[in-house]
Amino acid sequence: MILINNLSKSYGKVKALDSLNLEIKKSEIFGLLGPNGAGKTTTVKILTNLTKPESGLCYIDGINVLKYPQEVKKIIGVVPQENNLDRELTVYENLLIYGMLHKVKSLKKRIEEILSIMELTEKKNAIVNTLSGGFQRRVLLARALLPEPKVMFLDEPSIGLDPHIRRELWQIIRKIKIEGRTVLLTTHYIEEAEALCDRVGILFHGRLIALGTSAELKKNVGEYVVEFFNENGEFISEVCHSREEAYEIAKKRNNGVTLRKSNLEDVFVKLTGERIRKIER
Amino acid sequence: MLDWYPIFLKEMLQFKRKLLRLGYIFSAMMAPIIYLITFGLGLGRTVTLSGGVDYLTYLFPGLVAMSSMNNSYSWVASTLNLSRLYFKTFQIYIQAPIHPLSIMIGEVLAGMVKGLFASLLILFVGLFLPSGFKINEIFVLALLLNCFMFASLGVITGMITKSHEDTATYSNFFIMPMAFFSGTFFSIERIPHVFKPFIYVMPLTHTNILIRKNFLDTEAVLSLFAVLFYCFFFFILGYLLIKKYNE
Repeated sequence: MILINNLSKSYGKVKALDSLNLEIKKSEIFGLLGPNGAGKTTTVKILTNLTKPESGLCYIDGINVLKYPQEVKKIIGVVPQENNLDRELTVYENLLIYGMLHKVKSLKKRIEEILSIMELTEKKNAIVNTLSGGFQRRVLLARALLPEPKVMFLDEPSIGLDPHIRRELWQIIRKIKIEGRTVLLTTHYIEEAEALCDRVGILFHGRLIALGTSAELKKNVGEYVVEFFNENGEFISEVCHSREEAYEIAKKRNNGVTLRKSNLEDVFVKLTGERIRKIER
Repeated sequence: MLDWYPIFLKEMLQFKRKLLRLGYIFSAMMAPIIYLITFGLGLGRTVTLSGGVDYLTYLFPGLVAMSSMNNSYSWVASTLNLSRLYFKTFQIYIQAPIHPLSIMIGEVLAGMVKGLFASLLILFVGLFLPSGFKINEIFVLALLLNCFMFASLGVITGMITKSHEDTATYSNFFIMPMAFFSGTFFSIERIPHVFKPFIYVMPLTHTNILIRKNFLDTEAVLSLFAVLFYCFFFFILGYLLIKKYNE
């Protein structure tokens, strides 16, 4: 559904994307994981026509994004990282303007429908500025879903939300998948990627350093983690391929050892080497 | 064909909310009223103009042109700059399946409405002033073109500025001098010859010439062409900036 070929983009001397290659299948939730500045938002901006790459190609549903942007815009929905609702307008007015821009048929009926699905009917006439952060995120999702897009881009959809609201949002995102839409989700919340994504790609300094299901990635780097403080008081986290290997390391330590299953954060740490250098055997 | 309408509608909805806060109307009227009182009723009594025209009759159309320029330009430049850089609402237009020309038309029409509204407020005040000013077809044409021209210029500023402070800088360097030296308060005939080429380059100069005419003489026709040229030039440039939008 989404095909990215050798996509590169720089901002001045900073390489935001460095020959990115990626294929996202139809009806999957694909997570782009990485720290701030890894190139996640740049990828979304290129795919949604906000910025142009220096080189490379990308296709959505077989349409060349750079050559036929208007055609691509008809089939995508975007929830940006920053809340870009018109804050002085009501929820209904925001949806109305967006629906008109996207030429949604039977617009008023569709707005009522989406308000009901997103449990926003009561907030219909509320000025956006008066809504909580959680409700504003929900309006952003409702707005993106209004034209019934085939592909949804969710750029850090739960950033700044408290855990309870975040979980509510995850339910909505799962519903989007059930409807058969393809979702590209960027996040730096490991928990979010694990909870929602069918497959994950880890971006680091504009390069894709890992790709696969959460289970595959964990299996590749090691499924067990031993954590302890060394003699110098430094926190050490070692990823092991087998339980036996983990026990061996744990046995050498007298106290304060934690043994657990690995998560995507461990995968990230192991692959990027950011904290791995501190590990001492 | 009507892809510009949602953009225009959004601006109008926001404008309506601002109008409901009465402060806006008073603030829009404040500067022209101060100029009317200071220059028209105060200093103006000591000014004699050729042809027996009283100063208030001379000043009033200039103030309407100035006010329409300020409001058409500032509203568009400021809201576009803010929506592009801070609120990121402009990105919704870019990501919508509409032609960049529709965005330009929507923004310019909204700017025109705001400029015309401010002009109507001044014209309303003018009803109570003892001047011989009368509205004719050339006045209406000049006013409409002026709003179009400066709303288009507002789009250019809104698209090229890198911060909201830049908008004020552009205003101080281009709009403010134009308001004072383009024949709003005094005839450009009084300006030394050496400065005249600069004065005639300013778009508002030609609106001020046109807006005071009762019939289309040679000077009016030349100014009409100058205004039409600026309208075309600013509109095309604004459209190209939207078309080439790249973050």
